[in-house]
Amino acid sequence: MITPEQAAAKPLPMPDADTAEFWAGLARGELLLQHCLSCSAIHYYQQGMCRICGSSHLEHRAASGRGTVHSFSVVHRAPGPAFKDETPYAVLLVELEEGPRMISRLVAGADPSVVDFDMTVQLVCVPVDEGVTLPCFRPA
Amino acid sequence: MSTLRGKTAIIGCGLSPVGRVPGRSPLWLAADAANTALEDAGLTKSDLDGVLSAGAFASPFHRFSVALSEYLGIQPTFSNTLQVSGATAATAFGIGAAAIAGGLARYVLVAAGDSLLTGLTPDLALRSMSESRDQQYEMPFGIPVANTFAMTAHRHMRDYGTTPEQLAQVAVVHREHAARTPGAQMTAPITIDDVLSSKMVTTPYHKLDCSLISDGGAAFILASAEDAASLGIENAVYLLGAGEAYTHEHIFLMPSITSTGAALSSAKAYAMAGCTASDIDVAGVYDCFTGTVIMALEDLGFCAKGDGGPFVADGHITYGGTVPVNTHGGLLSFAHAGLPGSLFHFHEVIAQLRGACGDRQVPDAELGLVHCLGAGWAANATVILGTEATR
Repeated sequence: MITPEQAAAKPLPMPDADTAEFWAGLARGELLLQHCLSCSAIHYYQQGMCRICGSSHLEHRAASGRGTVHSFSVVHRAPGPAFKDETPYAVLLVELEEGPRMISRLVAGADPSVVDFDMTVQLVCVPVDEGVTLPCFRPA
Repeated sequence: MSTLRGKTAIIGCGLSPVGRVPGRSPLWLAADAANTALEDAGLTKSDLDGVLSAGAFASPFHRFSVALSEYLGIQPTFSNTLQVSGATAATAFGIGAAAIAGGLARYVLVAAGDSLLTGLTPDLALRSMSESRDQQYEMPFGIPVANTFAMTAHRHMRDYGTTPEQLAQVAVVHREHAARTPGAQMTAPITIDDVLSSKMVTTPYHKLDCSLISDGGAAFILASAEDAASLGIENAVYLLGAGEAYTHEHIFLMPSITSTGAALSSAKAYAMAGCTASDIDVAGVYDCFTGTVIMALEDLGFCAKGDGGPFVADGHITYGGTVPVNTHGGLLSFAHAGLPGSLFHFHEVIAQLRGACGDRQVPDAELGLVHCLGAGWAANATVILGTEATR
């Protein structure tokens, strides 16, 4: 059961061994993708072994930051009190130029009503808290 | 290959009061439904040796099935608290059937209850459900539980021309069905315009495109077909097929956001049952959102891929149509009490197969399907049920 205090707090990523480098990269302004050196698969979701071939030979390379909006939904009713002040905001399912998809958000200040399917977007790294930078996007 | 087809009977069903049930805990709601199911089956609690349940958002018990057993005053030798989000209920029937066929238990209680409406504030209920999204890659962006489903439906509209009016028609039909169902939470008639002018929640979903938040519980007693016969159960309903499919965890790793695991889970269930979608007389389809129903209808084989919108608009999911769906009103209008919500679909389809639905009875209902799904289409489970004649 969730408490009102927990619900009022914004959920923030908690870096672990699989993701520490990824979050450190974002703090530097880079979106790091994992490239499998064994099968060439490219992953957004960071894991200690390749989801396709199981290899642990994975290398981080910075993404171009360009992508397209595969789908989106503009949130008017926030999921609890932590996000109430930010509505309306556009949650994006971005397809990166390199192939992987990711959940993200249109940067604050950009008009959510301009978002459309397949529009091109550009990465913006947004610091949100001590040591946490989120990968957001703006219209390209 | 061995099969579960026809080996397990559902011999008792029960519902607690649903909708707004203030002051009642998730355990009471599940136990109240369990007592009704036991009475329906003509058994007593001491007959039960198996208990399967689902967790409750408004309950502190991690082992809800164990806490429920204690609450009922029984000490089962087979139990689990299952968790695959909205698909949980359908998996409980397959697991219960397998446990009975395999000798792990003789009489299995499947029961769940939650008090999402009065046990939690609306803010806490929404945040609790959103907690199932990924802490690192999804939740920080403020993604409501509705959002993953909204994005799949949104792309479906883009790719197949599904319209807001067709989505709204799903809600209208469910409300019409709920109006005929005693105890349903929302029964006032609504129109397509009402749906489209209700508050936007997350595009393309308005408030009336979204399921309710409710209190309630449901329970079932499962037994072998042999035990059902020796007990003299006359209205037993049999499990004929069951299938599950898990295609991803994160929405951004869903292979296609417009084609779902319902195709795979239902293919397995149809193969076990030896039937196809065109044989199904009545269906329960998880309706957390209007677009979810449209996409599921396609992947369950009731219509061609992309035709779900016109299928609904042309009257195919209500009486006189191809397959009456959610004749109790579903999560959209009957009640949505978290994980117990999809047990209500089972309760209705079983009641239809028993011929016990009064003026909302689907004539000659012999074969029924229930499809449950959850976690942004990550989990899918299909169960096919039938009368003695179909066994």
